[in-house]
Amino acid sequence: MSFGKRTADAPDAMARDPAKQLERNARLMELLARTALADQRAFAELYRLTSAHLYGVALRILRESAAAEEVLQESFVSVWNHAGSYVAAKSQPFTWLTSIVRNRCLDQLRRREVDTITIDDEDDGMTMRDDAPTPLELLVSGAEALAVRNCVESLDAGQKQALALAFYRGLSHSELATHLRQPLGTVKSWVRRGLERVKACLEAAGAGR
Amino acid sequence: MNYGNPERADALAAQYVLGTLRGRARTRFARLVRSERGLADAVLAWEERLMPFAQSVAPVEPPPRVWQQILARIQGARAGAQPSGSIWADLRLWRGLTLAGFATALALAVVVLSPIAERPDQTLVAVLAGQDAKPVLIASVDRTGRTLRIKPVSPLNIAADRALELWALPQGGNPRSLGLISPSGVVQIALQGPADTALAQVPSLAVSLEPRGGSPTGLPTGPVLYSGPIQRLF
Repeated sequence: MSFGKRTADAPDAMARDPAKQLERNARLMELLARTALADQRAFAELYRLTSAHLYGVALRILRESAAAEEVLQESFVSVWNHAGSYVAAKSQPFTWLTSIVRNRCLDQLRRREVDTITIDDEDDGMTMRDDAPTPLELLVSGAEALAVRNCVESLDAGQKQALALAFYRGLSHSELATHLRQPLGTVKSWVRRGLERVKACLEAAGAGR
Repeated sequence: MNYGNPERADALAAQYVLGTLRGRARTRFARLVRSERGLADAVLAWEERLMPFAQSVAPVEPPPRVWQQILARIQGARAGAQPSGSIWADLRLWRGLTLAGFATALALAVVVLSPIAERPDQTLVAVLAGQDAKPVLIASVDRTGRTLRIKPVSPLNIAADRALELWALPQGGNPRSLGLISPSGVVQIALQGPADTALAQVPSLAVSLEPRGGSPTGLPTGPVLYSGPIQRLF
């Protein structure tokens, strides 16, 4: 399976330094505003700055480059058509874009649900490369970037595992149950409690709204 | 399913955003989000909580064909049926322009964070006029600022298949596109550096009439409708 060239010099579109993030967000907002005016150059720049990250997210969930390419294409056509509905006061530009991509990935998965998706435990489904981080590692490093590492660390192992697999891999409750070899009820409560704790913790850290 | 209970609604919004809400329940919920304000807000709040976690995913450069296909689709759409009425009448656009307010808030945040605040009274201004010398557009930027703001004095009428493009006219060089502007609202345009340097060799600005999407060549292709010198108020 080929996943295309990995970005050597990722644009600092996803910079983690807060000042850089503000600058990046302001830039993405401006590009979205100009895209709403049907400015093609602004749209091309928006694509250049965000497509590699969004493609990475789609690949993680869909694990198939053709499907991920299709989702990326659909998502950006939708961004072009709906850039005007982006309301900056309500969400960060990266949040808005990622949500569009993830929702389309989840729709794809739903269409696939007629086929059985088997998840190989040995492989952890991460055929991207041997040293690719697991969903759990991604969750922890994501939390680190958000300065909410303590929040994530405070989750039970099961909660952490379930949230990470659901978020980064798009697993459903029943897929989680199969993958984690746990009863459905247990997995559902891990997800529910995990989400509640993430919310409480982010709010305490002032990071959530 | 009962969505009336706020806690239940919030829990469903969380599962929807995480992705564990599946199948028909997901479709039904997505439909309700579009019509119920409370649910939409809950979804937005969860997106804001969870999506930043996606930043830890390693970027992977998509193959170039993806962009080519996107381009073909948006240009195909444009060449096809034109929407009735002007795109400027599109409500979405104006909601998008509420951006301006937020960007101002953000700019203030940057000022608070940065040790050297911009001096607000040192401004570069250009008043762009047509052949009758009547002012049509006003552009301004702080000399240390990187965002040029431009707004028509009163709304302009342009055809649905046309766009207004703003150009920097450097001394002894080709016009440089600064981007498309709105015929009735404020548009913010990022400069390549602080205005003092970015516009140092630019005595004036101009606006040309271009096809929708902007000049296909990178140089003005339509008539120059308005122009004006950049004045330094300091």
